[in-house]
Amino acid sequence: MLVSYSWLKSYIKDIPEVDKITDLITFHLCEIESVEKKEDGDAIFDLKILPDRAHDLLSHQGVAREVASLLGLEFKLPEYKLPESEKDSPLQIEIEDPGCIRYMGRIVRNIKVGPSPEWMVKYLESVGQRSINNIVDATNIVMLDCGQPIHAFDLSKLSSEKIIVKNANDGDTLELVGSEKIKANLKGTDLMITDGVNNLAIAGVKGGLLSGISDTTTDILIEVANFDAVSVRKTARRLGIQSDASKRYENKLSPTLCDFAMKEISALVLEMCGDATFEKVVDVYNNVPVEKKISFDSVYISKVLGVKISSEDIEKILNNYKYEFTKNGDSFELKVPNMRLDIEGAHDMAEEIGRVYGYDKIIPEIPHIDSESVDNSTWTNICLAKEKLVSDGYKEVMNYVFQDKGEVQVLASASDKKFLRDNLTDSLKESIKLNTVNLPLLEMDEVKVFEVGTIFTKEGEQINVAYGDKKNITEMTLEEFMKEKVSAEEFVKNATLQKPLKQQIFKSWSIYPFITRDIAVWIPERMGPEKLVSIYKDFGTELLVKEPKLFDSFTKDGRTSFAYRLVFQSDDRTLTNEEVDTIMLNITNEIKSLGFEVR
Amino acid sequence: MEEYKKGSLHPLTLIMNEAVAIFKDLGFVVEVGPELEDEWYNFDALNVPKDHPARDMQDTFFIKDKKGFVLRTHTSNTQIRYMENLVKQGGKPPFAIVVPGKVFRNESTDATHEMQFHQIEGLMIGENISVAHMKGILLEFFKRFFEGENVDIRLRPSFFPFVEPGFEIDLKIGEKWIELLGAGMVHPNVLNNCGIDNKVYQGFAFGIGLDRLMMMKLKVPDVRFSYRGDLRMNQF
Repeated sequence: MLVSYSWLKSYIKDIPEVDKITDLITFHLCEIESVEKKEDGDAIFDLKILPDRAHDLLSHQGVAREVASLLGLEFKLPEYKLPESEKDSPLQIEIEDPGCIRYMGRIVRNIKVGPSPEWMVKYLESVGQRSINNIVDATNIVMLDCGQPIHAFDLSKLSSEKIIVKNANDGDTLELVGSEKIKANLKGTDLMITDGVNNLAIAGVKGGLLSGISDTTTDILIEVANFDAVSVRKTARRLGIQSDASKRYENKLSPTLCDFAMKEISALVLEMCGDATFEKVVDVYNNVPVEKKISFDSVYISKVLGVKISSEDIEKILNNYKYEFTKNGDSFELKVPNMRLDIEGAHDMAEEIGRVYGYDKIIPEIPHIDSESVDNSTWTNICLAKEKLVSDGYKEVMNYVFQDKGEVQVLASASDKKFLRDNLTDSLKESIKLNTVNLPLLEMDEVKVFEVGTIFTKEGEQINVAYGDKKNITEMTLEEFMKEKVSAEEFVKNATLQKPLKQQIFKSWSIYPFITRDIAVWIPERMGPEKLVSIYKDFGTELLVKEPKLFDSFTKDGRTSFAYRLVFQSDDRTLTNEEVDTIMLNITNEIKSLGFEVR
Repeated sequence: MEEYKKGSLHPLTLIMNEAVAIFKDLGFVVEVGPELEDEWYNFDALNVPKDHPARDMQDTFFIKDKKGFVLRTHTSNTQIRYMENLVKQGGKPPFAIVVPGKVFRNESTDATHEMQFHQIEGLMIGENISVAHMKGILLEFFKRFFEGENVDIRLRPSFFPFVEPGFEIDLKIGEKWIELLGAGMVHPNVLNNCGIDNKVYQGFAFGIGLDRLMMMKLKVPDVRFSYRGDLRMNQF
């Protein structure tokens, strides 16, 4: 979520500078994706609000309260100027589905739609929102400020002054507000705001175009409501619409938040439309949440964190956070704030106290565990099987589990291979093919590979071992392999597999094809081939990528013929035969100049 | 231009074996478990509610015609199986296990993301196993794993349904901090789901990506090199 530093500052007079806030949030609250400092002194934080705090922190007030509490600074709300005379309202609200937990409606007449005041445009634009008109902007400002989504309807577009919250009929459609001209196809499970005759909005997701605010709107209905998180999520997901409102509802909001939001939106509308007349708020509130209390003590908190935190330290933290609590010696009983839907028990307070106290103050300590458990024998067998195959000259490969045929299929996949492998042999064959082509690069004479891995059949999964070469591949279960191939004394060699691995540098390979050239040279019998190898390396240039490989030699009439294979490859292009010919010519010339004969 | 040895292990196996060896030395034993798992072991027992957004954080492979089964998204399923089994056989904490193994996420692949990869997860439960112990074990692990480097760790608040408090842990190698793993104190509900008394026992869990460790330690530039059966991987 984008959060404006200036906006936070409007609540915390003494807020420290941007860099300090960045560190504070990173180590005591949540990750920051980016910080953008603006020329006017503002800075925009992109916060990765954690899912369990999305109830209260997808809002500037929420973040400001956190920052103030972490620093022990004062958090101060402005004085809202509220409408004075409130007329009785003809508005009727009916909730037909429990997916709507609370619905507050307020009719405001005689408003004037127009551009928003400058501060509002600035705040909206600073967090990447576009200014639309004063009424719509006010609803967005309140949502970004306190986290409560708000919707405003053009009252004249309703068939009567009545709201019914109920499920859509299968096949209903609704054209939505916004520039994309989306027509939503609705289902019977979608919760709708209706006027009894027409669908007006998809609850918690998006408003309809027809009942939206236009330049000529004079009377409005303000909706401040609470909807079930799962219901909103399912509808938003199905329609592929993620709005700022649905994002907040999906994470579950406290229905108690509606009271403040209605106050704030009323004050904003009044500020912009001085002649407006406000009717009384109509509030249908079905499931008022019960007050939750939890208990914990400083001994428990210290035991979980592994650092001694005194009751006084805890008390100070709770006070800074304005928690309502009672303290009895080391024990605390705390009233869970309405907005903190995440706090369920003492373990949550270990986190709350710990992150404020500072995880950096916890001193690392290595525990000693006395347990009689031993390693799972499947693991030991996997290690032994691999060791056995390596000692028999096989090289380990790993292949994809996902294949284009098999007995078990995954439902949806980002890849076109939707089946799980039912054997290891098929991919091992592919692996042998691939590596045979690369033999000169691998500096090997033949490909011998193995894989130990899980296969999936209708009966279930099992761990198999497969190994082989171009001619023959053998595959069996791990148990069978252990029985047939691994002798008893090899069990004790287990430890040799777990040698520490020195930090080494992996060499990436070129994606371009390589070219091989063979060269055989007669040299005097008593002379070794070292001189030849050094010529190959010196004249082979950087394109010679492998150690020259001796593949044939024989002696006749006092001379020995040494035949070497040279492998050329470039990291950035496909080599041409002409390039390699030139290199080979240089090599041949050098050899000839020393008086040796190239065969 | 080093000579290739005759037989060789895949570098991921080398990394996995080394990680296991260090944890064994620190008192852990090795557990393994199934890759095709039911939702109880992969999600429910780990305190991931059925309709919670956290369940979307993992893009899961569900199995066709086998309702309620998934390719495991982490090796935490094996922690649950281990604890359930321990309790069934009359055992109780303390214990410390690590679970190396293959896991799956349904996401598009790039140089740092694969649909299949390997993790090593750890779980240590006892009467007084704390965040301080978690820090101690992980710091010691990384010191030994990146031997010769100047190594440190730091904790940041995070959230995973199966732990509380939850942490994101950064690793410092040389002068640079890298976000590396998730960890936390095992959520009391998880212990309870396995029949372990959460009033008496507590402890920590963590999960480290082995492919990532391989890329860091051996400087392998692309995770997708791993699973193509290509022997050019086997350089060590």
